[in-house]
Amino acid sequence: MSNNLEIEIKKPKLDLNYTSDKKPVHSDANPDVKPLPKVTIDGKTYEFRPGDTIMQVAERMKVHEEIPRYCYHPGMPIAGTCRMCTVEVEKAPKLMTSCSTPAADGMVVHTRSEKVLKSRTGVMDFLLTNHPLDCPVCDKAGECDLQDYNFEYGPSKSNFKEEKRVYVDATTKKLSDKITLNMNRCVHCERCVRFTDDVTKTNDLVMVNRGWHKELEATDPEKGLTNDYQGCLTDFCPVGALTMNDFRFKKRSWFLTKKASVCDRCSKGCNIEVHSDADIVYRYIPIFNEMVNGHWMCDEGRTSYNDFMNPMRVIAPLMKHEGEFHATSFETLLTDIKKHVREASSVELVVGTDATREEAALLKDKVPALFGKSMNVSYHNGFISSLAEDKKLDHMLRMTDKTPNTRGVEEQGLLALKNGEVTSDVVIFFRNGRAGIPKMKANQKVILWGVWTIDEVKNFPSQNVLAVIPGLATIEKAGSYKNADGIVQKFHPAITHRGSALSAHQVADVLKSLN
Amino acid sequence: MMYNNEHFEPVITPNVQRPGCETLDFYITNENGYKGLEKALKMKPAEVIDEVKKSNLRGRGGAGFPTGMKWSFMPANPVDANGNLKPKYLVCNADEGEPGTFKDRLIFTKTPHRMIEGMIIAGHAIASNKGFIYVRGEWFKETRLMQKAIDDAYAKGFLGKNILGSGFDFDLVVYKGAGAYICGEETALLNSLEGKRGEPRLKPPFPAQVGAYGMPSCVNNVETFAAVPYILVKGWEKYAKMGTERSGGTRLIGVSGHVNRPAVYELPMNLSINDIIEIAGGVKGGKLKAVIPGGASAPMLRADECTVLTDYDSLAKAGTMAGSGGVIVLNDTVNIVEATYTLLKFYEHESCGQCSQCREGSHWLARMFKRILDGGGTQDDLDYIAKICGNMAGQTICAFADAVTGPALSSVRKFREEFEELIHKGGLLGMGRQESVSHKLVGAHV
Repeated sequence: MSNNLEIEIKKPKLDLNYTSDKKPVHSDANPDVKPLPKVTIDGKTYEFRPGDTIMQVAERMKVHEEIPRYCYHPGMPIAGTCRMCTVEVEKAPKLMTSCSTPAADGMVVHTRSEKVLKSRTGVMDFLLTNHPLDCPVCDKAGECDLQDYNFEYGPSKSNFKEEKRVYVDATTKKLSDKITLNMNRCVHCERCVRFTDDVTKTNDLVMVNRGWHKELEATDPEKGLTNDYQGCLTDFCPVGALTMNDFRFKKRSWFLTKKASVCDRCSKGCNIEVHSDADIVYRYIPIFNEMVNGHWMCDEGRTSYNDFMNPMRVIAPLMKHEGEFHATSFETLLTDIKKHVREASSVELVVGTDATREEAALLKDKVPALFGKSMNVSYHNGFISSLAEDKKLDHMLRMTDKTPNTRGVEEQGLLALKNGEVTSDVVIFFRNGRAGIPKMKANQKVILWGVWTIDEVKNFPSQNVLAVIPGLATIEKAGSYKNADGIVQKFHPAITHRGSALSAHQVADVLKSLN
Repeated sequence: MMYNNEHFEPVITPNVQRPGCETLDFYITNENGYKGLEKALKMKPAEVIDEVKKSNLRGRGGAGFPTGMKWSFMPANPVDANGNLKPKYLVCNADEGEPGTFKDRLIFTKTPHRMIEGMIIAGHAIASNKGFIYVRGEWFKETRLMQKAIDDAYAKGFLGKNILGSGFDFDLVVYKGAGAYICGEETALLNSLEGKRGEPRLKPPFPAQVGAYGMPSCVNNVETFAAVPYILVKGWEKYAKMGTERSGGTRLIGVSGHVNRPAVYELPMNLSINDIIEIAGGVKGGKLKAVIPGGASAPMLRADECTVLTDYDSLAKAGTMAGSGGVIVLNDTVNIVEATYTLLKFYEHESCGQCSQCREGSHWLARMFKRILDGGGTQDDLDYIAKICGNMAGQTICAFADAVTGPALSSVRKFREEFEELIHKGGLLGMGRQESVSHKLVGAHV
């Protein structure tokens, strides 16, 4: 993997991940072997990698409409049970499930023939028989596969005159403090079961009973879900059966503005989509990136937007006057800080490893000069003392280093703060809400810069914070991080900051204007 | 007897009425016991398969797949990713759960050694050293008897290491299922055998490539194995002659329902349904109305269609199937809608619930039939039953959905007037639709 590889984050609508252990697509597929076998899909002929299923060929080529699916998920083993993705293969007596049928040389496939559409209408008819018509109060409405596919393939009316199936005990059931299950809405695709079996390998969920009584349950009902990736369940649940308590009933999905960004909760740098309305973030969801996070992200990262949406976050310049903090203007604040800095015998500038590469460069090269004082510039992580300690916490994504850019900051030529301890009289500490706080002596004068909450400011170890320069969080600014695998990921602002905080570069501009 | 087949002789059941027929001693002294094995062990595996192929033995579990061909699909020397030789497994499907079928139980209780011998021969033919007998969960006594028979065979050296000095090793393990109908489907059986949920697997890969515990496996019915010793002892010609051109031997037919002598009969295949009813003592308590010829999953036949022969191909031509050989006879006191509802209730309960169509469709059909019986039916329902069945059949992983549509569709097609009568009369009691209590369940749509 090249160290200089830069990825522009954008959301691919369809892509593939090859974690399935049932169909190892890459195993003996060699795209250099010519001639590649050919398959005809809806009248057009495509070359494909040997071993791909029809669905995978169709998706890789991205040439025609999505084949509908409930149980198929590119990150999981193939089940072939929902029967929604059936296609007509010439010379095959029955319709074939495109998710599980390997493409063969010379195969002729029709994905929208009359027979196929009739079958899909049939599946929709069956799935809707027992599905409650509660879309107006369902949290999934607007991003629900059942709604979408019913609009496209469903029957215009149903002849189901019987009672609907009701799971009385499971209408609102907490599977954990993060996830709520409404079994009545379930279409039994079992993605969630396969996810906990094969992806997280925690075997948290099982289907109990048979047939139409089939019910999703936690394997150990007392413990409930135990894995650290529970939020993913709500991403791929095609209906509103599994919903995340953190997002549930907060916002209708169609009001959400979706912008790509990078999660800064650990050194992995999972690619995320920030869902916001009026610049208030409601949730993060992962974006597929084969090289970084696959399809998944952890719960810690998923709910980390709450730190930036915290009402106690400092979003105006704060200056201490007679023992109390007062909001002021950047000009007044920075003039005051400059005075403190120039009067001090020694000044240190500590950069948290949650600064972007651009911020780190600015802080190292320009800021001391702008203050007109020589400073010792170093970085502080707070979780690991050397990069070798940054280990995987499980077989998936979570890392020990809970800051996003340790490698990127180091790359700018900064050295780690010695012993994690500040020795100078005055310290300027730049941190975006993720890095740890260094050891301080009592009454050392501190100027905080970046993303802080008022509680952090008041309880700061030295008990002598002079001022706070509010900064922008990852989702509010542009920049780049270098993740645990050495991949540099650029991002753009996903929302506009609603307070009066300024980016580091803007603060530098103000400083310059003061000279 | 009207067998009108000069070649016919009982293959599996010649002595089942004699006391002590289930013991090893009886089997050896009276029934050429383990002679077939002796002969087979002197032959090459390929020759055994060839013998079985030529005998035209077809799988007795329901699908009627040629047994010799199935054995020949087993890979000769399968190796895993590291180049190590993989074991091959032989599995006996004794999960006899088809309503109306009770032939395998007879073999288990009366002539278990015949099946054990058949399994050892099959093990030799496909070069497998381990066999599993997957027994239906409800068969407590049968499991005990089978285990005893296996223990006896071990004691006599028919099982275990170096059988009859041939150098061939074979072990048999009895495994009891947990009582799900679907585990009679071979891949669901393999899942259940491995301790997983009894749900059919996606095919391909077929069990001959990836079967029990991921190893190449061959799954056969109890009756299929029980027929093998005879073929070896008496030769394939004699066995093939008893049957029809494309299907050799005899079949065990379990006749139940409205007949005077319901029982398991061993019969040649050139008999008609009417002949079978006559052999079973004729229709009891009324005139013949309908026959389900091959276990509950087989589409029904009207009385006037019962001249059809009971071999695989003739029944398939008549739009039904030979299935597992359970002939259910219904006389004219039976209400077909009610009878079909009983079957559908069974299927509704037994669907594994993997595939959308089968899970929801079997439930829907059962509820619909119930509504018609309760007097809430409409003429449209009859068309819709056909539509539901059309959406189910042939669309799922296994043949369960087809099994559901068998009775449902055939009853509507062949006895439509009975449905219409119920609809016009307002249900069985003629009182119109009764509101059930559960209808008032609050929160049904939440």
